[in-house]
Amino acid sequence: MKKFNITVNGKSYEVEVEEIGGVMPSAPVNRPAAPVAAPTPAPSAAPVPAAKPAAPAPAAPVAGGETVTSPMPGTILDIKVNVGDTVASGAVLVILEAMKMENEIMAPVAGKVVSINVNKGASVNSGDVLVVIG
Amino acid sequence: MSVNKLDDLRQKKAKILAGGGKSRIEKQHSSGKLTARERIDLLFDEGTFVELDAFVKHRCTNFGMESVDAPAEGVIIGYGKVEGRLVYAYSQDFTVVGGSLGEMHAAKICKAMDNALKMGCPLVGLNDSGGARIQEAVDALSGYGKIFFRNTIASGVIPQITAIMGPCAGGAVYSPALTDFVFMVDKTSQMFITGPQVIKTVTGEEVTAEALGGAMTHNAVSGVAQYMAANDEACIADIRRLLSFLPSNNMETAPEYLCDQDINSINEMLNDVIPDNPNKPYDMFDIIKVLVDQGDYMEYQPHFAKNIITCLARLNGKTVGIIANQPKVQAGCLDVNASDKAGRFIRTCDAFNIPLLNIVDVPGFLPGTQQEYGGIIRHGAKMLYAYCEATVPKLTLIVRKAYGGAYLAMCSKDLGADLVLAWPSAEIAVMGPQGAANIIFRTEIQESENPVETRARVIQEYTDEFATPYKAAERGFVDDVIEPAATRPRLIDAFDMLASKREVRPAKKHGNIPL
Repeated sequence: MKKFNITVNGKSYEVEVEEIGGVMPSAPVNRPAAPVAAPTPAPSAAPVPAAKPAAPAPAAPVAGGETVTSPMPGTILDIKVNVGDTVASGAVLVILEAMKMENEIMAPVAGKVVSINVNKGASVNSGDVLVVIG
Repeated sequence: MSVNKLDDLRQKKAKILAGGGKSRIEKQHSSGKLTARERIDLLFDEGTFVELDAFVKHRCTNFGMESVDAPAEGVIIGYGKVEGRLVYAYSQDFTVVGGSLGEMHAAKICKAMDNALKMGCPLVGLNDSGGARIQEAVDALSGYGKIFFRNTIASGVIPQITAIMGPCAGGAVYSPALTDFVFMVDKTSQMFITGPQVIKTVTGEEVTAEALGGAMTHNAVSGVAQYMAANDEACIADIRRLLSFLPSNNMETAPEYLCDQDINSINEMLNDVIPDNPNKPYDMFDIIKVLVDQGDYMEYQPHFAKNIITCLARLNGKTVGIIANQPKVQAGCLDVNASDKAGRFIRTCDAFNIPLLNIVDVPGFLPGTQQEYGGIIRHGAKMLYAYCEATVPKLTLIVRKAYGGAYLAMCSKDLGADLVLAWPSAEIAVMGPQGAANIIFRTEIQESENPVETRARVIQEYTDEFATPYKAAERGFVDDVIEPAATRPRLIDAFDMLASKREVRPAKKHGNIPL
């Protein structure tokens, strides 16, 4: 409550002014995050047709698959998937110990594990292929 | 006034408003883009946009250009209100001579820039241009040069935001690159110095325009752009949102909003957010979300160098810039890209009086030849420089690891942090317990009867003694060790206390940041 003295035509009035409601507006409402396309760098090949396990010529699906590479130098602490497993995008594939941290290396896309290119305990460099998802 | 003159004016205006004509506008729409005028209408509060220079015409007579009519000279400029605040903008019209930039087109953009600088208000550029108008030769080049010069002069004075909403190739890319914030629209925008065809002739390399300079490329790989949006509407909505976090110029502070959340709220979840095992990652966003107003933040470069988080958010209605390590990605280490990202963000905040909150859980700088050859020393130095140079309130909150040079680089007390708070889980030391114990107790371990056991024992001793916040607190490098649950009230109080901070630096022409 603020008090003011207002003089009108020589006559003085005492006026009380009360501030109601916030002076400041509320922050603009957050627009729901724009559905930005998932960061798939390379156009991943069409889903591998239910590959016959015994079928020869294994090179083909690998070439078109999504390769998961090591983001930094480290040691493979654990491998959470097997060849042939179906994984969802974001599933943990490998635990990479680096910078004294058990880093979870996740699947960038959903698909089938086509190959695992490292063994438990192996030392890897950044850029080394860890897993290929077809 | 005679009716004829009024009719004449109305006809002229109608012609200008029609832009490149119906068929070109349809083509613009069918390629997933809005027109220059539709974008302007979305950017400004309804009915507030005032156009300037609509009657400007080009002066080119080369190659038959004298007969080419270009309504509004292929770019719309003017001013209006965004959430009630003055903003200047230009919007290139791809339907008019491909939005190409000639002498007068550039002169219009320069007028918008000059006015924005004079009035001290943000400048938003909506780019959609085929590039230089080749018929205008060096006049077009001169136009770009004039824009670059103004971008640089206005840098750090008014916020400059550019959105790439179509092609942007060759020299045109450098105006956006000189501004503070670059947005790109997914699938419809590209930026590159030389296009796929030139690359093919020169180097033989084959690459699509999208892979070379699409929105995701520049957001995730090159770091040229800071934001990407799914379409034009989303992009412009994001620009409006970004403006709400920024002041109009470097002499003002960002607008303050009413925060109806209890500023004294305690959040017990924070007491358990850090895993017991120091080698376990967690998501830093879990912490940020409960600290800021309404859990709402706007990430800067969300797709680039994800091992460091940079975002704008509010604490009790006031904008803060947050720099936080992300243990979930690459252990939250600092590398070349993370240093660049953080360094640029810190300077952007400092230029526009946005206080900094640094949330630290950093294991160190990433080792390796790749990093050393990539110049991690030079890039890391940018981050250190940016923190030391910044005079805005700087508050550092150490939640877990803070080791070695990276502890310093995340704005330690000695880099000028005004207040350093730590959680009891903080480990502030010159290096991790294992490495340290191996060096300090080398002979003791070697000479003992059971080296494995001795090693484990000394590591534990070191951990108990040094991997805590208390050694740093004993020296005053940490101002207080706080209960995590009470962090939000402490931060709000601290920034309130720091609001009147004044720091004077020696006069100089400009510092020499390592680039």
